[in-house]
Amino acid sequence: MQLHEDKYKDLNLKIGLEIHVQLKTEQKIFCECSTDYINSSPNNNICPICTSQPGSKPMGVNEKALENLLKIGLFFGCKAYEKPFYVQRKHYFYPDLPSNYQRTSQPILGDGNFMGVGIWEIHIEEDPGRYELREGKVDLNRCGVPLAEIVTAPDIKSPEYAREFLRDLLLSLEYLGVIRGESGSIRADVNISIMGGNRIEIKNVNSVKGVYKALKYEIVRQKAVLQRGGTITMETRHFDEGSMITKTLRKKETVADYRYIPDPDLVPIYISPEKLQEIESVLPESPHNKKKRFMKEYSLGEEIVDALISDLYLSDFFEESAKKSNPIESGKWCATELKRRLNEKNLSVSTSKITPKHISDMIGFIERGELSVKNAKWIIEDAVDTGEDITSLMDKKNFYQISSEDTLLDIIEKVMGDNPKAVEDYKSGNENALHFLFGKVVNETEGRAEPSKTIKLLKDKLCMVN
Amino acid sequence: MFTKDLIEDLSSNSLEEHIHKKIEEIQKKDKEINSFITLNIEDAQNSSKEIQKKIDKGIQGKLSGLAISIKDNIAVSKLRMTCGSKVLENYIAPYDATIINSIKKEDGIIIGKCNMDEFACGSDGTSSYFGPTKNPRNIDYVPGGSSSGSAASLAAGFTDLSIGSDTGGSIRCPASFCGVYGFKPSYGLVSRYGLSDMAMSLEGPGPFAKDTYGIALLLDIISGKDPRDTVTVESSKSYTKTVENFKDQDIKNLKIAYAKEFFEGVDEKIKNIILDKISKLESEGAKIEEVSLPNIKYAIPIYYLVVFSEFSSAMSKFDGFKYGHYVGGQDIVEAVSNTRETSMGIEVKRRVLLGTFITMEEFRGRWYTKALKARSAIKEDFKRIFNSYDLLIGPTMPTLPWKIGERISDPLSMYSSDILTVSANLAGICASSQPVGEAKGLPVGLQLHADSLCESKLLKGMRAVELACGGI
Repeated sequence: MQLHEDKYKDLNLKIGLEIHVQLKTEQKIFCECSTDYINSSPNNNICPICTSQPGSKPMGVNEKALENLLKIGLFFGCKAYEKPFYVQRKHYFYPDLPSNYQRTSQPILGDGNFMGVGIWEIHIEEDPGRYELREGKVDLNRCGVPLAEIVTAPDIKSPEYAREFLRDLLLSLEYLGVIRGESGSIRADVNISIMGGNRIEIKNVNSVKGVYKALKYEIVRQKAVLQRGGTITMETRHFDEGSMITKTLRKKETVADYRYIPDPDLVPIYISPEKLQEIESVLPESPHNKKKRFMKEYSLGEEIVDALISDLYLSDFFEESAKKSNPIESGKWCATELKRRLNEKNLSVSTSKITPKHISDMIGFIERGELSVKNAKWIIEDAVDTGEDITSLMDKKNFYQISSEDTLLDIIEKVMGDNPKAVEDYKSGNENALHFLFGKVVNETEGRAEPSKTIKLLKDKLCMVN
Repeated sequence: MFTKDLIEDLSSNSLEEHIHKKIEEIQKKDKEINSFITLNIEDAQNSSKEIQKKIDKGIQGKLSGLAISIKDNIAVSKLRMTCGSKVLENYIAPYDATIINSIKKEDGIIIGKCNMDEFACGSDGTSSYFGPTKNPRNIDYVPGGSSSGSAASLAAGFTDLSIGSDTGGSIRCPASFCGVYGFKPSYGLVSRYGLSDMAMSLEGPGPFAKDTYGIALLLDIISGKDPRDTVTVESSKSYTKTVENFKDQDIKNLKIAYAKEFFEGVDEKIKNIILDKISKLESEGAKIEEVSLPNIKYAIPIYYLVVFSEFSSAMSKFDGFKYGHYVGGQDIVEAVSNTRETSMGIEVKRRVLLGTFITMEEFRGRWYTKALKARSAIKEDFKRIFNSYDLLIGPTMPTLPWKIGERISDPLSMYSSDILTVSANLAGICASSQPVGEAKGLPVGLQLHADSLCESKLLKGMRAVELACGGI
């Protein structure tokens, strides 16, 4: 199960992650400001609540944010705690935190599992603003964007698996439609220990690649310390994206005391079993399970399946089209030509005009010998762009293949008559002449000549000339 | 009824004239009383003209142009909100508190922002950066705090109504000391949105008036559910009706308890006046019985533990970078320290430091968590009493107002003066203070408590006492 585990077997690697993702909502967690903090000029997407003006109070936790968080938890098989949870105040000073405390909830769900890694707990919190250290500028537009923090058990045994795990986790969250798409980013605190030594926490790693690099660096660094006879002391380190190395942030003796208190401005929140049931009933299949099912149910290759499940809408689209056509063909077309065209046009199946019926109809035409594979690519492009049905596209483009032997023979005779030298060459043993003549037939029919039949008839005819 | 009559008078007389007179009084006398930090004269005059037009058409709101002063820890858009502190000396509120919105909608005229103990940390109105407020009844004496300017501006005739806030008695104490009516609503009845934080789980805004009707009138306007304050609940908004419909003989239906714990250590003269009023109510037919609240003795330590903890959290933002007076320094730590050192008074600093200490991880179990537990014991005490009685009666303050400067150096004696008022906040119930007599020429306040969200019962009780004291 654990990728590359053997490579680190002697190190007894233990890696745990605290992963922050922005939950998808229209409004911020405690006020009515938009969560679209990127598209407004600095400090314009704010209100008295998210800037913590004296006297302002938080509104209740945004319901959609909580719902999305519950989806994440249930998707990972977590159980929701029965007791109402408090929102707490975590006190620390930072320029982008207007109140100098961050509101962060007690664990809401816990005890789950994803890809063999335990999920310890999941809670909700508010994003602070953004601070440009070099310019000394603060932008509070992001203040109050809802975050989920997912805390894993130290079950990850290699940097490679950490990367794999994070990629799949992000994919799952995108699948669920619960995280902000455009940010695509992830903020993680990474915990690592080797040889049963002290735990090192690496703060604020901002990408999947960063997590991988930070871990690789940390393994080398800690091994070197141990080889020199040193010991690993418990500390918090900072990952520098530029140089891809970690640096000491603070030793454990000066551990921060956040002086947590339950926020007196917010009432504790109770999640009813009915609410949980309601959410559980609409949860989609996990990508992991979907992959296994697609490979088994439709006998598709791994590469094709990976391409299909990387996009929830595409995988649904494929399943729909596979109901009325050969799934192997349908899978191939969806994963290759369709996906290529969508990427090219920066569309998804949900935003383009193509429907599953287009694919299944198209495969029907191919199977009946009425459409060439080459022209099918054009059909897909047109269907994505215009949504016109296949039959009318076939007519419009004049794509119907010519497979009538009589018609083909007429054309072949004409081509042979027009190119006596090629016929001579073939007869004297030049195989290339056959391809030349075949090309001429194809041109003559504007690509509509059914290839295998054409070759066969052409060969027969050439032999007959003898 | 004084306030009701006043509104009726305003419908026939000039509102501009009325407001003008208030402004004149303020300009003449407030130099001495010091009940305002910021005046809103021009705006008030303009509003009086606008509202006069509405009165002429008979379309005015319920407040009909009455002058209202607002404690300076409540946000009024475009006006300075100092909280009585140098830290916020230049802070202009960019928004209206929910209750200010409601008051403006009902045509109340905001005449100014009132002086107060710095960040509401005080019980006598002397700890403001803008100087002590003086008691209009005798300017050598304290007006009570922390809503000192609210009570004083009303007692001095500078305003018709006022809004203060009550965390542990901050409305009732100055009401008692200045001889006006003050009302602490149940926790959750009135929105706290726009009320600057002191101890968030204890406090809320509330009205001051010259009579029970005035209290009910403001309650009708400021109470009710607010999406911007999650602890709020729906309100019946029929409080003026309750007061108007109360008849002398309704006193007979009141079941009133008094607790011996509320008379321990109380000044004899105050005790006698209150006991006299209790017998008066009894003779009018009210059912009066003695009860006990055994856990009240823990109220002061519990109260201050909660206050310090929540206050230190709330004050974090005043670091000179986000909010407050920027002083500067060699690094961030020094800059923040400089702001706090030079812009905060001694009591504020004391509370921030104690609160920080109490909420440190290693002491949590020892102080804060225990205080929260003990708080529920006090709640239970009141619950038990309100199962059998409508009201709990007693004095508001254990002493008469003291001379200005007398208690400033002794925080413990200052804290102990809150002994009779903090329990209502710990329990989240409603409580009131109203003038019922005088001793040494200084007012004496009577305190009533009713169960959480039983404001109507409390108003009936206030009205009964008002009538029993010969009010109209």
